[in-house]
Amino acid sequence: MHNLHQLLNRLADAGVDFVVVGGFAGVIHGSALVTQDVDVCAVLSAENVEKIRGALADINPVHRQTHRLLSFLEHPAPGQALVNLYLKTDRGVIDILSSILGIGDYERLRQRAISLPLFGRTFAVISIEDLIVAKEAVGREKDLLAAKELRAIAAKRNLRPAD
Amino acid sequence: MILRRMEPQTESAVEVARQAGFDLSLVDLNLALSYEERVLQHAAVLEFALELAAAGAAFYAQSAPVAEPTR
Repeated sequence: MHNLHQLLNRLADAGVDFVVVGGFAGVIHGSALVTQDVDVCAVLSAENVEKIRGALADINPVHRQTHRLLSFLEHPAPGQALVNLYLKTDRGVIDILSSILGIGDYERLRQRAISLPLFGRTFAVISIEDLIVAKEAVGREKDLLAAKELRAIAAKRNLRPAD
Repeated sequence: MILRRMEPQTESAVEVARQAGFDLSLVDLNLALSYEERVLQHAAVLEFALELAAAGAAFYAQSAPVAEPTR
């Protein structure tokens, strides 16, 4: 079962501070596009990496972009600097990024993120405006297409009944 | 019920998405859901898509031609 939000719950339970970004943030904002992974932005300090290891330890996390699917529990060695993590687990795929193109690092993203209630807790989620900027900054065809849908969603939100 | 006036920019963004092929009635349905409902609906759709992909992979694995022995 690939309940991607359960991966978010695991990180939150482990005390990892993160912002939900990418296509899954798009889903939260109302996108109809389906994504197979969940992307978050977090500080990849040695302390946080250990917390993430603990959060995913029992669901077989591996570096999915390595030829031999190296275990995240064993690689990289403690103290080795990390920029991004692209992981596959038994519960789904999760990417953990230390910065977002077009926006900046975790601190900057966090300042501009919105807090949304989900399943009894509050998650920081990239704002739809920043998500559009990020998608357009990446510039791949699929991201530019997603940005068009997000722009339409932002526009439609302005048309919703006023209170 | 009061609807805010549609700005030209709004109309443009919706039209651009429509012309790109998006069925914006799906977006309307999503916007009517709570955040949790959007996540749960996405999970159900993803699960179904992955099951279909697995079934397709199994089908093509079964029907793949067997290589002739080398002479």
